[in-house]
Amino acid sequence: MLQMFLRRLFLGAITVAIVSMIIFAGVEILPGDACTAFLEREAQGRVLENCREELDLNRPAVVRYLDWASDALRGDLGVSANGQRSIAEMVGARLQNSLLLAACALIVGVPTAIFLGVVSGLWRDRPVDLVLSTGAIFAMTIPEFVSATVLILVFSVWLGWLPGIVLTSANAPASEFFPEIILPVVVLAMVMTAHILRTVRSSVIEVMNSDYVQMATLKGVPYWRMVFRHALPNALLPAINVVALTIAWLLGGVVVIEVVFNYPGLGRMMIDAISDRDLPVVQAIALIVATVYVGVNLTADLLTMVANPRLRTLYTRK
Amino acid sequence: MISTIDEVFCIHDRLSFGLTENGTDKNNRLFGLAAPDPIKCRTREEDMKRIIALATAAVLLASPMAMAQSGTFRQAHEYGFGAQSSLDPISNGRIFQITEKIMSRLVRPGLDGRPSPDLATEWSANEDATVWTLSLRDGVTFHDGSTFEAADVLYSLNRVLDPEMDSPARSAIAMIEAVEALDDMTVQITLDTPFADLPLQLMDYRLRMIPEGSGDTIATTGIGTGPFMVETFDAEGTTVLVANPDYWEGAPGVARMEIIGIPDGQARLQALLGGQIDMERGITAQQSVMFQNSDRFTIQEIPTGNWRGLVFRTDVEPFNDLRVRQAVRMVADRQELVDLVLGGGGIVACDTPVEPNDQYRADLSCPQDIEGARALLAEAGYPDGIDIDVHVATLEPTWPTLAVAYQQQAAAAGIRVNVVQAPTDGYWSEVWMHEDVSATRWNERPADQALHEIYLSTARWNESFYQDEAFDALLAAARRELDFEARRALYVQAQEHLQETAGTLIPYHVTRLVGVSSRVHNLDEVKNDAVRWHLITVDE
Repeated sequence: MLQMFLRRLFLGAITVAIVSMIIFAGVEILPGDACTAFLEREAQGRVLENCREELDLNRPAVVRYLDWASDALRGDLGVSANGQRSIAEMVGARLQNSLLLAACALIVGVPTAIFLGVVSGLWRDRPVDLVLSTGAIFAMTIPEFVSATVLILVFSVWLGWLPGIVLTSANAPASEFFPEIILPVVVLAMVMTAHILRTVRSSVIEVMNSDYVQMATLKGVPYWRMVFRHALPNALLPAINVVALTIAWLLGGVVVIEVVFNYPGLGRMMIDAISDRDLPVVQAIALIVATVYVGVNLTADLLTMVANPRLRTLYTRK
Repeated sequence: MISTIDEVFCIHDRLSFGLTENGTDKNNRLFGLAAPDPIKCRTREEDMKRIIALATAAVLLASPMAMAQSGTFRQAHEYGFGAQSSLDPISNGRIFQITEKIMSRLVRPGLDGRPSPDLATEWSANEDATVWTLSLRDGVTFHDGSTFEAADVLYSLNRVLDPEMDSPARSAIAMIEAVEALDDMTVQITLDTPFADLPLQLMDYRLRMIPEGSGDTIATTGIGTGPFMVETFDAEGTTVLVANPDYWEGAPGVARMEIIGIPDGQARLQALLGGQIDMERGITAQQSVMFQNSDRFTIQEIPTGNWRGLVFRTDVEPFNDLRVRQAVRMVADRQELVDLVLGGGGIVACDTPVEPNDQYRADLSCPQDIEGARALLAEAGYPDGIDIDVHVATLEPTWPTLAVAYQQQAAAAGIRVNVVQAPTDGYWSEVWMHEDVSATRWNERPADQALHEIYLSTARWNESFYQDEAFDALLAAARRELDFEARRALYVQAQEHLQETAGTLIPYHVTRLVGVSSRVHNLDEVKNDAVRWHLITVDE
């Protein structure tokens, strides 16, 4: 078990390292650099040279990568190109805000999704299932920015019940984000619920049709006892992985939501940094998101292993 | 005192006639009689009497504005300079939406756009317009309680001129050689070249007065003499301003302002629609339909001097031939471009950068002339037309549309346009001023500055590589000419010369749409930097 754990950890570290190289290379390939972006029309001759000198852009890419990577390992993400502030400091509050948004969405979304998924699985092909499944497909296929805009239009512009966008500043305590946070949470929860609901539903259906459930039914186990004691624990296992993926998606993929709602999280910070061409910040955030992604997936795998003994062996049987 | 009367006169003018679409013309006509001459600000005596009579009436009309402040006015800013954002009015990261409310200039644009007194009450020049004397307003205090004096003017202006500061505002007043205090309330400005329109340059929206010696702290304190004072500054979040009861023009009508950083344009629009902000300046033509037929909002249409266009380098084949340059500009149907690209929100320009409402704008006409263009091309040795690559980027969202619309128009004259999409990154450093034909955009500036910075042979940003001695001579003569009409004639001649010979197609100036919540009252329907913020009021 421990060996298994270490192996996964090592693979995770390799993944992050490869991702960091891809991020760095991607930023390098872009036309222009931090200086040309920042100076705009002034980016000519000596001014440009001085700026590049100042930001150390003249050294070979490999040397700069190694410097950046080794600093990042020690938790030093460097300083931003604009304003020269410590990136680790800047990211702190933003990461908290993104986590707050993600946590709210999870608290609302996951229980709803599991409950609705079980309901539509148990009442398969009945009207309630048809409504829920169709609704889920809609929620999945409509892009977040569309549903966000529609919700803003209805609840903020027409009805005037909720604030349309977030005006609270990045460093404010969590409590100040209410009620502004409600609409972004609802939009995120909608998309998330749809994904989890569909996984839970198919998994419930599969388990309910399995041999052991039929056996239990034949032996006369009462329906609800069988559902809760025998079917659901197995049916919900795949949900762990989907929830993990969703958490990772929440941190990296909420960029659109954060921008639409002006939410001061990591995603909007990344967009701001991209339009500023603040490449050190872009790199740092991409790296953080990648690390979280890998970390959450790792945790989910381990949890699944804990819940399912069959996955605990190191070697798969031929 | 004179200036106050002038301002009140303006209020009266608006209250009695209202500012309709042709209101600007009406203002200009009225101001033809009473407007301060750009050189000698003091008004003639018979006009004085008339003004005082009007002013008395206006004071009566305007007196409700002297009530105690109430309510909060909210506005967004783009947070366009990110972490560099600052309250220093002359820095690269200045947040204009804040500095315009907390700091004053020496001279500001009146409602007609002409120089009108702010912290300087009157000004005059010597005979060749190289030495200017400005009288300062008495009894003005900064937000920290200190008195506004000549020393503050010296400090503020010298700070802009200091090469170390590297302020983008320096180019506006680069002709200033020295600033001296004649006494506490009089400043003398010496120029290195004759310049008859110095007050126009002092009107620059960045040239705001700050207390002597405050340069190191101004970026966060924002201490000025404006109608509002900074309570808390948070560029990324909400900056809170409170009314300055000691403002020299009278206490403001609004108690509190919140200026909020919202980088995304769509989010700003939603905030306005949802009632979270009260005003938004960047409404596009497409978005404006959302405000039509709504009693919750009004849309102000403000003509600006911002232009977009296509630059044909005059130093390369085939555009080094004057006839080709004329042909490529002649094929444009400018009104159609305004309609297609801006949804009608623009004013046709005939390749002059001078804005529609500028006092020096030449009255030119430039109808589309396909046959004429064909003939010119044939004469220049291209009877079968020419092929050109027009470079654009999504950096400016209207460029691709402009290029494609131009492509269609030009095709009729045998000019085959190939639109090349260049990446936004590095557009200014690798495409603009490098490729033979590329799109450009500029923000408004006074006539003289626009012509000098972009068309003078030696200009750093001479994007079309335009070299014309006759044109340079006209500009030099205009700067030296003290008589307004004569000076105007020279600037008009310079623009006519440009229309004849330039390599830059400027089809239009953009009209700015400002969305305003109907809870806001008395917001001047003028350009950004002429708004008198102390006058506005909001419903609770």
